[in-house]
Amino acid sequence: MNLFRSEEHVERWLAGRAPGATIPVVQLAELASAWWGDRLSPGWRAHTREQNQAILDAVGLTGAFWRLP
Amino acid sequence: MDGSDLGLRNATYGLVAELGRVPTAAEAARATGLGLEEVRARWRSLHEAHALVLDESTGEILMANPFSGVPTRFRVYADGRSWHANCAWDAFGICAALGTDGRIETTCPDCDEPITVEVRDTHPDDETLLFHCLLPAAHWWENIVYT
Repeated sequence: MNLFRSEEHVERWLAGRAPGATIPVVQLAELASAWWGDRLSPGWRAHTREQNQAILDAVGLTGAFWRLP
Repeated sequence: MDGSDLGLRNATYGLVAELGRVPTAAEAARATGLGLEEVRARWRSLHEAHALVLDESTGEILMANPFSGVPTRFRVYADGRSWHANCAWDAFGICAALGTDGRIETTCPDCDEPITVEVRDTHPDDETLLFHCLLPAAHWWENIVYT
């Protein structure tokens, strides 16, 4: 789970491996805020699978690749 | 994960934020007044619940997600301290968890050039960067270290 300067860097790094998913860093930041924002809260409770899936859906990460088990 | 596990989990995360690194089991025992073996047993319970990740060989914390217990290519500077993150997602997650602005320093895994991102109000200053996630979500916890 890395940051890259461009698609060209991603493709060169993959070196023929099957790609995963590439998203804009702004979308990653939105995801991180929703996913980790409560991690240091005294009232923290483990997210359920449904809660985490709802976070992915809410930031636009839908489809089979982003489907939690 | 029972209430006592949760209490130790919250105390452990508090130490991560305070120290700028994950605590050792001995440090967590001293800070909480629990015995060392109880800390190790409760950390094991938290590991099984995916609330943190232990190093199987030492019983110490490898990941208190989004914080890393070992040095990585992802360094986050915030609030006068710094932490290692497990990945780019977690690097942004550290700023989110702390509720502060910060600076993420990493390198491009392709060309090794430095990448620095300033995070202000949860937003990255360089919007041109891309994030690549190699594994589908269905497989993230099969090998969380690789993920």
